[in-house]
Amino acid sequence: MSTEPATTTQNLEGNEACALGAIAGGCRFYAGYPITPSSEIAERMASELPGVGGVFIQMEDEIASMAAILGASMGGLKVMTATSGPGFSLKQENLGLAVATEIPCVIIDVMRGGPSTGLPTRPAQGDYMQARWGTHGDHAIIVLTPASVAEIYAQTIRAFNLAEAFRTPVVILYEETIGHLRETVDLPAPETIEIIDRQWAAPDDRNFLPYRPGTDGIPAMPRPGDGHRTHMTGLTHGEDGFPTQKPEAIAAANRHLSHKLEPHLDRIEQFEIVAGEDAEVIVVACGLVARAAKRAVAKARAKGIRAGLFRPITLWPFPTLPLQALLQPAGAVIVAEMNAGQLIAEVERHAGDHCRVVGLNRIDGEAITPSQILQQIEELAND
Amino acid sequence: MTTGTPKEVITAAALTAPSARAQERPTNVLIVGVGGQGVIMISKVIALLCERQDLDVKQSEVHGMSKRGGSVFSHLRFGQRVYSPTIPIGEADVLVALEWAEGLRWLPFLNPETGTFLADTQQLIPPFSCRSRKPGAVTNYARHTVAEVAGKVPNCFATDASRMAAELGNARAANTILLGMLSTALDFPEQEWLTVIEQLVPKKTIGANLRAFAAGRTWVEQHDPAAMHAEAPAVFPAAADLGDYVARSAPEINAAWCKGCEICVKFCPERCLFMNDRQVAELKDPDLCTRCRVCERLCPDFAITLHRLDA
Amino acid sequence: MTEAPAPEFVIREYLREHLMPHFLCPGCGHGIALRALLWAVHELGITKDRLAIVSGIGCSGRIGAYVDANTFHVTHGRPLAFATGLKLARPDLEVVVITGDGDCLAIGGNHLIHACRRNLNITCMMLNNEVYGMTGGQVSPTTSNSRYTTTTPLGNFEPTFDACALAEGAGAGFVGREITLQTPALKNLLREGLAYPGFAFIEVISDCTEIYGRKNDLGNSAEMVLSQKAAARPDVYTNSVDRPFRPNQLRTGVLARKDRPEYAAARQRHLQSLGNVE
Repeated sequence: MSTEPATTTQNLEGNEACALGAIAGGCRFYAGYPITPSSEIAERMASELPGVGGVFIQMEDEIASMAAILGASMGGLKVMTATSGPGFSLKQENLGLAVATEIPCVIIDVMRGGPSTGLPTRPAQGDYMQARWGTHGDHAIIVLTPASVAEIYAQTIRAFNLAEAFRTPVVILYEETIGHLRETVDLPAPETIEIIDRQWAAPDDRNFLPYRPGTDGIPAMPRPGDGHRTHMTGLTHGEDGFPTQKPEAIAAANRHLSHKLEPHLDRIEQFEIVAGEDAEVIVVACGLVARAAKRAVAKARAKGIRAGLFRPITLWPFPTLPLQALLQPAGAVIVAEMNAGQLIAEVERHAGDHCRVVGLNRIDGEAITPSQILQQIEELAND
Repeated sequence: MTTGTPKEVITAAALTAPSARAQERPTNVLIVGVGGQGVIMISKVIALLCERQDLDVKQSEVHGMSKRGGSVFSHLRFGQRVYSPTIPIGEADVLVALEWAEGLRWLPFLNPETGTFLADTQQLIPPFSCRSRKPGAVTNYARHTVAEVAGKVPNCFATDASRMAAELGNARAANTILLGMLSTALDFPEQEWLTVIEQLVPKKTIGANLRAFAAGRTWVEQHDPAAMHAEAPAVFPAAADLGDYVARSAPEINAAWCKGCEICVKFCPERCLFMNDRQVAELKDPDLCTRCRVCERLCPDFAITLHRLDA
Repeated sequence: MTEAPAPEFVIREYLREHLMPHFLCPGCGHGIALRALLWAVHELGITKDRLAIVSGIGCSGRIGAYVDANTFHVTHGRPLAFATGLKLARPDLEVVVITGDGDCLAIGGNHLIHACRRNLNITCMMLNNEVYGMTGGQVSPTTSNSRYTTTTPLGNFEPTFDACALAEGAGAGFVGREITLQTPALKNLLREGLAYPGFAFIEVISDCTEIYGRKNDLGNSAEMVLSQKAAARPDVYTNSVDRPFRPNQLRTGVLARKDRPEYAAARQRHLQSLGNVE
């Protein structure tokens, strides 16, 4: 390519990059409620959205914010809300509705120490399982864990694309530290950004059923006013959208919700592998911790230790096969996370008997350091 | 033995002989209609005319409770000397009816030998004359046609004065048309009528009222009573039009949707619904249904439908 | 020239007939309220494609599904929040919220007062039957004093909400109340609320015959609506007496109508004044 796409360089905080990514990704409706450490996202959205013809509204609570974005999404807009752990818990009720009724939406959770009010100004990774299983019932969900300001921007855009393509809520998790971290970012030219729009039902399709899976397994969405006059309900529903009590229809509906992402894992899964080819010790870490792990791996390699890093960018669905391929030759895996051990269970069930799985956890409100990880790598390499 | 001198002595002969008073018997005009038509205005015109002729005049009216279509009547008596303010039955020289049924109601007051009946054939059907609430249902409104009435009274002049007035540009001037008709039956100079009307009506409507007066007067002068009756409008709608009425209007009850709450049965004012042995509302007597739609509107199950009459 | 008369209201034209008969108990007033709503929609000429009905959870939440329109059956207490997003995204839709006394005043109370405060152009029809019917008849914020419910087995002693006073106090531009027995009046009230440019809150006094009525020996639905009628005091009477002439008064009719700026219009004006939008 002879001409490089024009980029703009900006010094941005993670939360700002999230807001700008949302605008670039097509977000035109934001509803939120103030909560540390995510409030800057709302503040930036409030100033950005009117200029692009979008709507910002600060709702009366976290629950209302989540409900409002679902309403706006059913109206046809790309929507987002942002919060932190306690607020994320309040959103889980309507996140369940979004799952059940397959409403595209993006939810940002800037993770702080918990449980409860916990440590509002300190980083943590305590919401990995809340993001996966926080809402009630079986379901699939997409959770992304960017590790830098630039990645927050890019992954926020991608979150909208995934939400719209697969009619699913997409959660972005990053730690307080990255939310408030300033980095210099090259923002791509708008025309180079890939944007995916949802699939609308054809207005003249008289046989349209709002929950009949399309050829890609994802149902097209009815746009109110297009003449379909469909029903949307949080009750378990058949392909016609109406509640059903038939066991086979219920099973089909729930199977669909649990498995609808599986045919599309190649588009959904993203991960980073650092020095993985011949690694004997693999560090699995996301977000902030992965930044420390990358440095630890580099230091270990410098010391002649065959260490590697597996960083899921898509945390859920968990990139199982790429990790298993990486762990085949490795003898040990360190799961470093700023919680008491959430991700480790997921790694353990995929690691196989030959591979030793060790947790490296920190729950004191401080970040895991490269030297901590290096020390753990060295211990395992010497065993 | 009686003492003293009576001031006046009425002999037995005087009681039976034609008296002076009888010779100067007053003229009796009975004006009837319903509220708002202008009965009192006609009375006032005549009263004023009499005053200008130095005649004794008495007027007795019932009004005020009749604003919305109730009966209004005015007895008007004038002559050299008038004692009683009301007209005895059978002694009205002229009966002016601004509304057809009101005219019929007062016909017994008309002098059966010499009376003149002046009527507007327009019908203002009062709510209570229609005991059946079915739309288009036959009312209890008087059924007599103009021809029938004309055969029973000495002089009958009946026309659709309201329509005439409307054609002249002001439907409310129907009473002035009647006034014009009345002017042919009473012995006052035409100019006197015009003067009095000008004096009584609002300035803006003087022209319209004078035109209406002239139209009424001309109508009587130019029309042959026999021909008049023939061309008078038919008073009643043909009942045949309502032949299949019940079949089209009876509520349809969708038994599959009815959950048997009984609210329709309880609220039907005509009691034409009942709960059958399956606890579903059923029509007992479609003929009683008046299409009031209480059942349709209160049915929580949307099980009752009153179909469009035009369907 | 006379205009052609509007076609007569036929409720079947607004129903998803394949779902009928509906699931409501015999005599439930919610059906009458739904008819009045659709009747008002018909009279205003709102097309089914432009009508969006958002409802919450409970008996009231389920009736939206029977309407052949864009219908959204959302989470418990949240229909007003969902509707806020929908209306802001799609101002062209006529957004109607159907909710109940529990859905709207208990779990959704926060959303109600803020919807009233914002004055976004949404019509909220709250069906008040004084009880949680769907879950078997528990006490609600509007359950009358001393009434029996499954969670007040000794009779209710808690004070009740006056939903209309609450909505008015929170700033709703249009507030009204009507009983189901006065179906044409209820239709007219809903019609006025739908036409009102702002947030319209309309409380419908409905009857839960099968659960609440039975438990409290209130009679069949005919008797229940008649007792509502006896308690109702149309607001047009208020000027004729200084003091209520019935102790158990229930004010009905249009109870408040204020000229307040509608949310979306106010937002648009505000942004325009800043030169922020074209």
